Amino acid sequence: MKISTKGKYALEIVADLAIHSDSGHPESLKNIALRRGLSEKYLERIIKTLKDSNIVRSVRGARGGYCLAAPAEKLTAYEVLKAAEGELAPVECLTKDTDCGIECGQCPTQEMWRSMWEVIKQTSESVTVGDIIKEANVKIC
Amino acid sequence: MKLSTRGRYGLRALVDLAANSGENAVSLMQTARRQKLSLNYLEQVFASLRRAGLVSTVKGAGGGYALARDMDEITVKEVLEALEGKISIADADAGSEKDEVQAAIRRLLWDEIDRQVDTLLESRTLGGLVRKYQCRMQIKRKDDSR
Repeated sequence: MKISTKGKYALEIVADLAIHSDSGHPESLKNIALRRGLSEKYLERIIKTLKDSNIVRSVRGARGGYCLAAPAEKLTAYEVLKAAEGELAPVECLTKDTDCGIECGQCPTQEMWRSMWEVIKQTSESVTVGDIIKEANVKIC
Repeated sequence: MKLSTRGRYGLRALVDLAANSGENAVSLMQTARRQKLSLNYLEQVFASLRRAGLVSTVKGAGGGYALARDMDEITVKEVLEALEGKISIADADAGSEKDEVQAAIRRLLWDEIDRQVDTLLESRTLGGLVRKYQCRMQIKRKDDSR
């Protein structure tokens, strides 16, 4: 039951954008990559996923770059993780058909996994990117 | 973010064993057959459960495995930790955060998810899962005989 590095970086990138950009001042890939210690190539892949899910948006032009598509206070950790990781289900069979040998209706454990999934979803829905940057206590530029 | 097959299938097999054993020991072969799991695999899984003091072996004819404690006193958390180690959403590298952003994500999110999942897993017992399972199987038997 682990979050992948992609999910972790996605949250860090979004928090970084919340701190260092706004719609009038987009931030360049290069600067984000430098601060987060990521290769620009890898960063680009994660940003694309976030852009496809309307979490960040790109601004074109000489001073172009990226910024959040919505205020950090309105963006939950769940939305970011879902975009980067998929459904956050602790077991596969909750989100797709799997061949585990028995029918779901007779599964002794599926309800347990579903409760676990709910807890993970609810907790990550209760934390916003705004909360994260407040907790990090960094000045917004 | 997935539980491993050890945790998934191990808990499933343990519920099956508890639901079908009553006071007696049960051979793993029956559980393997009912749950469509390999016997070889279950033997490994049950060796871990035995080391954790959750099941015990009964030797001789009619031997097999039995719960070592009352099923209402075995929490799902104990079972999963015996099979998977500590259940945690992020790698257990707390303290290695590179900066304030990482540390904030750890405190607000990963640690909080771990706490909430822990609370849930501690509040659920094997006995609770067994009774729900037995109920479901009874409904199925009624449906099948209709």
